[in-house]
Amino acid sequence: MKTLLACTINAEAHTVLVDVRDTLLDLVRERIGLTGSKEGCGNGNCGTCTVLLDGAAVNACLVLALEVAGREVVTIEGVARVGELHPIQSALVESGGTQCGFCTPGIVLAAKALLDTNADPSEQDIRQAIAGNLCRCTGYGKIVDAIATAAARLRETET
Amino acid sequence: MNLDPTGAPTAELKVIGKRLARVDALERVTGQAIYPADLKLPGMVHAKILRSPLAHARIRGIDSTRAQALKGVLAVVTAADFPALPVGSTIPMGETGYDMWMVAAINMARDKVHWVGQPVAAVAAVDVHTAAAALALIAVDYEPLEPVLGILAAMAPEAPVLHEHVFTKGIEPRPRAPSNVCSRVVISRGDASAALQDADASARVRVEVDTAHQGYLEPQVAMAQVDANGFATVWASTQGQFTAELMIARMLGLPASKLKVVPLEIGGGFGGKIAIHGEAVAVRLAQKCQRPVKLVLTREEVLQGGSGPAAGALIDVAVAAQKDGGLRAIEGTYRMDAGGLPGMSPSLLMQASAALYQCPNLSLEGYDVVTNKPRTEAYRGPGGIQAAFAVEQAMDMLCQKLGMDPLEFRQRNASVTGGLMPIGTPFPAIGLDTILEAVGRHRCWTEPLAPGAYPRGRGLALGYWRGTSMTSAAHITIAGDGRPMVTMGAVDLSGTRSTMAQVVAEEFGLAIEDVHVQTGDSKSVGYSDGAAGSRVARTMTAALVEACADALRQLRMRAAEKLQSAPELLHYADAVFRAPQPSGAAISLAELMQATLTDGAVVGRGVSSKLPLGVEIGAHVCDVEVDTDSGLVTILRYTAFQDVGLALNPIAVEGQIEGSVVQGLGWALLEGFDYGPDGRLRNASLLDYRMPTALDVPRIESVIIETPVPNVPYGVRGVGEVPIVPPAAAVANAIARAVGVRVCHMPMTPERVLAAIRAAPGRPDVS
Repeated sequence: MKTLLACTINAEAHTVLVDVRDTLLDLVRERIGLTGSKEGCGNGNCGTCTVLLDGAAVNACLVLALEVAGREVVTIEGVARVGELHPIQSALVESGGTQCGFCTPGIVLAAKALLDTNADPSEQDIRQAIAGNLCRCTGYGKIVDAIATAAARLRETET
Repeated sequence: MNLDPTGAPTAELKVIGKRLARVDALERVTGQAIYPADLKLPGMVHAKILRSPLAHARIRGIDSTRAQALKGVLAVVTAADFPALPVGSTIPMGETGYDMWMVAAINMARDKVHWVGQPVAAVAAVDVHTAAAALALIAVDYEPLEPVLGILAAMAPEAPVLHEHVFTKGIEPRPRAPSNVCSRVVISRGDASAALQDADASARVRVEVDTAHQGYLEPQVAMAQVDANGFATVWASTQGQFTAELMIARMLGLPASKLKVVPLEIGGGFGGKIAIHGEAVAVRLAQKCQRPVKLVLTREEVLQGGSGPAAGALIDVAVAAQKDGGLRAIEGTYRMDAGGLPGMSPSLLMQASAALYQCPNLSLEGYDVVTNKPRTEAYRGPGGIQAAFAVEQAMDMLCQKLGMDPLEFRQRNASVTGGLMPIGTPFPAIGLDTILEAVGRHRCWTEPLAPGAYPRGRGLALGYWRGTSMTSAAHITIAGDGRPMVTMGAVDLSGTRSTMAQVVAEEFGLAIEDVHVQTGDSKSVGYSDGAAGSRVARTMTAALVEACADALRQLRMRAAEKLQSAPELLHYADAVFRAPQPSGAAISLAELMQATLTDGAVVGRGVSSKLPLGVEIGAHVCDVEVDTDSGLVTILRYTAFQDVGLALNPIAVEGQIEGSVVQGLGWALLEGFDYGPDGRLRNASLLDYRMPTALDVPRIESVIIETPVPNVPYGVRGVGEVPIVPPAAAVANAIARAVGVRVCHMPMTPERVLAAIRAAPGRPDVS
């Protein structure tokens, strides 16, 4: 069964025909065509589909599309401004915090959810914030470094 | 080329060796990188695979009539839709080839199923839901057979035989009865059993290693399209577009000229994406329904028999030494659990486990054993971590018996350049002594362990991996602005585009931004073997050095004509050709290409095959704390020393080492397949099969040592495999030094650690 759904994705209003069985991940990937969010497990264990829902990091595979009616979603495609990466993204590029890249979009959004609420996170805060995001390539060190670097740069620009 | 006969760079390097960001990092952090699951084609339909619910059964018949009648179902295939490939029909892959009978069985069972999750049929339908519904309508008539699950059970003479045509290789005369032991390998030197009896001290250990999974985060995906002329295109997540093409073509009986494999971004492979897993099935479905077909495996399928994990093992090792620490013997029996189809020869892992010690007496015996579990596949230094878990623990036990420092013991017995490898050939340049010296000087070894709430210990373990070379090909065209455009035959598994851009920039005297590198599909670049065996960076560097020289030679001819000079008199540096004085006239590559745009393409070609090996060696030091109440092991500090020959890009090298170590730590402490008595995997999710999170591991420190490989451009060694070899042994040795017990079952979960502590005699201090 299909139904119309209205929500905001990356600051754009969308009205989309969805299958009632669709998850938020199906909505962004299949209906809207934003394929930056990945599906690594489909049951909330790996974090590759992490998006922001009203500012909070969620596994898009565990949210039904219908639940986001009237709400605001940010995917990896909505993080950078035109021509300007978010500091988390640029720090990941510089540090070598992305290898195969499959976990990277989810990591960026989990880190953004952290830095949006905690300007000066400890290493443990950072590790806790991305504990739901598996990475099989990097061993996490360079990702943690990148998030700490981004936090420091954001603090500088705000003072 | 910047090379002297020792392989060491002579000129100062400007781009190679620098800490540069990946050239493809921007696409990755912005979500623009395209993986096969991201593709959509007009008219695309969706495939699903029906998998065996039984670990061992004969297929008496398959009835798909009801599935085909379901509205929205467009095609159904079973083994009957593929040619029956005989045993031993190999395609080239490495030194041994790839048996297509086995590749076919991984993709579609014929007559028998040998593990839970083996494919028996596949459906294409208008959407995923319909395809899934159709699977339930396919009736498979199974005759259940007794599953054989344990290694020792499978090796027992009375065990039910999985494959009637498998007779143990490596036994003379050829056995007359089929066996679950597919091959036996013996490596021996001197008289190990006499040496074990006569030596001053000896140590023995038996270890068991549970099967683990490569754990790449991207499940396998294939998209297949067949055009009106029958030409098939497959977009895949693969470690080798050419290997995949050969496999697909053979499984379908398609001529190679009717098929192209396009590798897209790959979300991790680690050995698990060398073989095909559904690509040929997707093509057959596409041929049948005349629509593009997309097949996406679920995570449960990946874990539950859809894509091979790494081999489990049961290994016995005994080692012996004199009082002065001189190693006298290594004796080992290595039994590898290949799963439902014959696996790899155990030879490489046996050699690896003994390679780093000068030892006069060796007796190593290896068995490749089949069981009714998913067919295993390569996983980063395949077999290395299992064998090191046994041998490096045995060496540590021997040190404890001798009262000798484990580093000093390694230094006393370390293999050296020119020494004999276990198979009797001399070692190429190896820097093991340099590595061990570096360990001895480093604070991770010299600083005493601070006391903690629970007992702490420090462990040392070594690792060796041989790697391979095989073939890599590439070509370079020169753009109208004079910049090199590189097409390489290797998939980018580990930052290859970036390191190869550095190589080409170095050779041309350009900046990395001036070089564009892409991976070619299987019809647009020369044959290259897959990205495996720590071979690509080394061999592709060699191919590109040759391709650069070829392109620059062609450019030199054109420049000579424009500058009216003899080609050999021109001086080339930093993308400019300059005529000798008195003219001194110069032309840049950009000007040259503009001036000769209508003279046809400049195409520099390069190929590398049979490059000398770049053996990998590492030493790891690990500090742990063992919670004696719960058995939980916490890694406090971890340092990995590795000889990489020359680090093309230190960020990439550290990334390989850190990621590889953490995979090793995952297997060491957390990851193991838990099979029920029916052969069904009980932890087929990423919650129950738990890989390390950011909270489970500390920062890994890498110490890079550079001993160049002679006669290899820039002296590059393999990097990515060996760092997974020592971690489990390093952790086990640290645990032993913390709490005085050996944990011999991987993963060393809290339950197993606690059981070992409680079983130890004379430990009244722990309850």
